[in-house]
Amino acid sequence: MNIIKRLFSVVLAICFANGVVIQTAQAALVSTEQVARLATTDESAHQRLNEMFSRADVQAELERLGLSADLAKERIAALTDAEAAALAQQIDDAPAGGIIGAILLVFFVLLITDILGFTKVFPFTRSVK
Amino acid sequence: MRGAWAAACLVALLAALTGCAVQTPRLLAAPPADLPPRVELTATPFFPQEDYQCGPAALATALSAAGIPTRPDALVDRVFLPGRQGSLQIEMLVGARGRGAVATRIPGTLEALMRETNDGNPVVVLQNLGLSWAPSWHYAVVIGYDLDAAHFVLRSGPLERQQLAFSTFEHTWDRSGRWAFVVTPPGALPTTASEAEVTRALVAFEHNAPPAAAARAYRSALARWPDNLTLAMGLGNTLYAQGETSGAAAVFRDAAQRHDDAAAYNNLAIVLLEQGRRDEARRAAQRAVSLGGPFQAQAADTLKRVDE
Repeated sequence: MNIIKRLFSVVLAICFANGVVIQTAQAALVSTEQVARLATTDESAHQRLNEMFSRADVQAELERLGLSADLAKERIAALTDAEAAALAQQIDDAPAGGIIGAILLVFFVLLITDILGFTKVFPFTRSVK
Repeated sequence: MRGAWAAACLVALLAALTGCAVQTPRLLAAPPADLPPRVELTATPFFPQEDYQCGPAALATALSAAGIPTRPDALVDRVFLPGRQGSLQIEMLVGARGRGAVATRIPGTLEALMRETNDGNPVVVLQNLGLSWAPSWHYAVVIGYDLDAAHFVLRSGPLERQQLAFSTFEHTWDRSGRWAFVVTPPGALPTTASEAEVTRALVAFEHNAPPAAAARAYRSALARWPDNLTLAMGLGNTLYAQGETSGAAAVFRDAAQRHDDAAAYNNLAIVLLEQGRRDEARRAAQRAVSLGGPFQAQAADTLKRVDE
């Protein structure tokens, strides 16, 4: 996880440093995303994410997370530029769904807070309103 | 002694927890007059959650309700990280788009949840069922509410019909940052969503969607917010991508005049050039160049191409 985190910060730093220089200078339509963003800082976030996900050490980490490299690339391709950049922060910090970390909880604390209606961990509790 | 300590901690903890259900009392004191006292989208399908896969189950529920039949196992590859035993929020939105639906974040208010269900849209919510320092994340789908009984009705994990008191729900939702989104087929818009959120959702949708579907979505949003430049550009670009040059030209021209915007003039010039209207294209490209801004280089290239 630390490797991914560190890589992401390096990638992000490079993106922000180079973003201004990298310009698509061709007679072409201005894309909706460009208009929406206007500040073009992470144009190549996709490419860099892909390169990063191709590295062996990152792939090993992905395998550990249960994600194949191909699928990871497909997932990256489906992201918008802004999302690709945001994914860096998200992958470590964002809450993942599913009842995780529940083992960390002291059982009776949650049971009582459930009953008082502050939490809802156990399906069998009925909160007092 | 240890027991006394634990009790003291617990009391302090509970004291810290109370007082964050701020919306519930206000809502119960003055419920929105135009909302019916109870709503339940009983036709919403139910997929009992397997293992930790509440993300795929919740998303499949919302997609199927929006008329895009989907089973949770078809989404696991897309929106589930086995190592984290869960789904990232961004991937929930991407997963919806991957099935051809628009995923739009809605405001974090209890009233928005009610309004959406009343409009027939189940709402996917992220809850922290545990505590802020020991989170227990969970995705569920709000399918209705009962103002008299003061509870929401949810499809949640293994429960087909969970009745959760407004205040309990608000506590669990508050700890997730009140994160919620609605899945709609392109062309339909959640009524509570803000202009900014709809725009963000549609720009993301265009990224992978067939241009015709994206154009339909942009058109309906533009009807609600006719002064939104990004939506207009999206409609023009997606019409152009379908080969509808005259439609695209009309949209770009309207956007260019309305906003006096370089991007709109640039795209208008390209479409006009393709239609063989070189003089008009040159005027549009010149205007784009003279407006300057971040697309000046692109506009200059367009002008060069017009003069070739």
